[in-house]
Amino acid sequence: MKRLFLRLLTGSALFCILLSCSEEQDFDQFDDLSITPTVASSVFYLESDEETINAVPAGPFYYQTVNFDAFNEEYVAERLLEGTMIYEIENTTSKRLQIGIEFLDEGGNVIDVELFSIEPNLPETFTREVAYGPTGKSLNILTATDGLRISGNNQSDTNSVSNASEPKVILRSAAEFLFRLK
Amino acid sequence: MKRIRLFLYISLLGVVSVCAQNKQLLYDFVEIPQSLMVNPGVKTSEKWHTGVPFISGLAFQAGTSGVTVNDLFANDGIDFTTKVRERVLDAMTHRDDFSTTSQIEGFNVGFRGKNRPDDYYSFGIYGETDIIVYWPRDLAILAFEGNGGANIGRNFDLGDVSLRGEMINVFQFGVNRKVSNTLTVGARAKLYSSVFQFQSIGNSGSFRTTQGQDNIYVSTITADMQLQTAGVKEIFDILDDDSRSAREELPLLFAKRVLFGGNLGLGFDAGFSYNLNPQTTITASILDVGFIYQSKDLQNYTLRGSASTEGITVFLPEDINNVNNDLWQDLVDDIEESLPFEENSESYISLRPVKAYGSIRYDFGEGGNGFDDCYCSIYRDGGSNRDFYPNSVGGQLYMIKRPRGIQAALTGFYQRRFGRVLSLKGTYTVDKYSLTNIGLGLNLQAGPINFYVLADNLLSYRNVANSHYASLQFGFNIISWNGN
Repeated sequence: MKRLFLRLLTGSALFCILLSCSEEQDFDQFDDLSITPTVASSVFYLESDEETINAVPAGPFYYQTVNFDAFNEEYVAERLLEGTMIYEIENTTSKRLQIGIEFLDEGGNVIDVELFSIEPNLPETFTREVAYGPTGKSLNILTATDGLRISGNNQSDTNSVSNASEPKVILRSAAEFLFRLK
Repeated sequence: MKRIRLFLYISLLGVVSVCAQNKQLLYDFVEIPQSLMVNPGVKTSEKWHTGVPFISGLAFQAGTSGVTVNDLFANDGIDFTTKVRERVLDAMTHRDDFSTTSQIEGFNVGFRGKNRPDDYYSFGIYGETDIIVYWPRDLAILAFEGNGGANIGRNFDLGDVSLRGEMINVFQFGVNRKVSNTLTVGARAKLYSSVFQFQSIGNSGSFRTTQGQDNIYVSTITADMQLQTAGVKEIFDILDDDSRSAREELPLLFAKRVLFGGNLGLGFDAGFSYNLNPQTTITASILDVGFIYQSKDLQNYTLRGSASTEGITVFLPEDINNVNNDLWQDLVDDIEESLPFEENSESYISLRPVKAYGSIRYDFGEGGNGFDDCYCSIYRDGGSNRDFYPNSVGGQLYMIKRPRGIQAALTGFYQRRFGRVLSLKGTYTVDKYSLTNIGLGLNLQAGPINFYVLADNLLSYRNVANSHYASLQFGFNIISWNGN
């Protein structure tokens, strides 16, 4: 009986093996898989009306340092391939303004600065895209950034009033980063 | 690392497979005692049978409704990332799945009632592993392409996440009764002893990045998702703890759980066979109507809520006095509060995947001498039709309840009997996995020794790696008729 079992089992296995075949497979190809998503997110938004700007002496009307470790998180920093910071500014006030964004490292040192000199009553939205990576600034700026210092300076008087219905200055910013997940 | 390896192993199991649990070759193959397991109301003719322990019934099924191993790993010189993009991301939908099922019978015994020869009792134990993972299309695209670039404005459906898996041991006892010469009915009670179970079903939600109301982008996520696990945590604890020997502890843990040491459940099967006329028979069965109450070794995860962000926002003059430096962390905290990722250990009930079969069969042909002297029936006044008709042809319908709805398969079959010694069954099955599934079953009866082998999707054997579906069942039994 044991012999019969073995014969049947062997016969079945041989039957399947002889019948089956497979094209050559190369599982090492998995190493070549490239996964590089683009992640987009808004970063910072600042809005101020003209009244607030007029309420303080000419010069800085906004000055704020915020901790910002989104870029230098280990997971992000290790996988970042390139990125673009997008800035948009609208100014319908009667003021000539200077807006600054300073990138600070862990020690509070300034490692990069973006300065925007904005004319009064801008007819359209001002846009600037700053590239980081192979075709732009060093990626190390982003991966070392631990904080942002945002400042708004009034380089005009504190009396004039715009003719616009709701005069204000708006700073928008967003990031689009390319990562390598695999 | 062990955990990652285990995850990859399970994922690989999924990738190389997609299966249904369809046993169209075994169904209504009355010469094989295990056909009682797919229809407890099948016609039985033996006096008793016993399966050879652990080799009486082994079944392995695997399939994929989407990409095959060959699609990705053929040595064809095409860039692998391009193949993944074109054959997986662009081609597969959230209804495509990877799944695998295996069953191993510990033992299977049947005997006819001494005082009630119309009743045939059967009992036994079998282990079953069943895993199904639906392709999380939108999340895969999100991981591959991100939410930026061309995907601004795209809605990523978090409900694409759907998976379920379990390993159980089943203790079963069934009764098969010949009610009349035309009707046979049967039922089987089951006690489930679960080794592990996990499920993430009924999820909903979305993630979307669009043009912001204030800032450049607004990212919005709404989620109602959960992953329930039972019996998994202790396994991972053993694997993760370098001071413990997985090789020694896991078999002990599994052994304890298969013998009622895990979570328990109840279920039943039922079925019938009915002769419309001497040559035409209809059958039907419903299997695994049951549940398991998961109350031990639980670890569940939930992600419920909604959050929306446009980054750090400062409005002057409202925020002029806010000199908080942690605006970014506050933003992160707000999102986590609105969309909490939480753990709990609440008990839950997992339902077994209910299966149903139906068939119609027409018997024909002359039996000849090979059937005249067979010892094939205990019934002196009219054995099974098949004892006299060597040919059968018919159709079968199979349905299974899956997380995304009912999957169905339609089978046409032809069966030929050569006396009691040899019986062959050929099938052609159409389902979501394959339109070219041709199967062949062989049952060999050498005296009391019974051997069967059933193989599906034979055309795929030309290139197994390119197969969407594969299944193999075989086993040994000892069968007795009357005094034999």
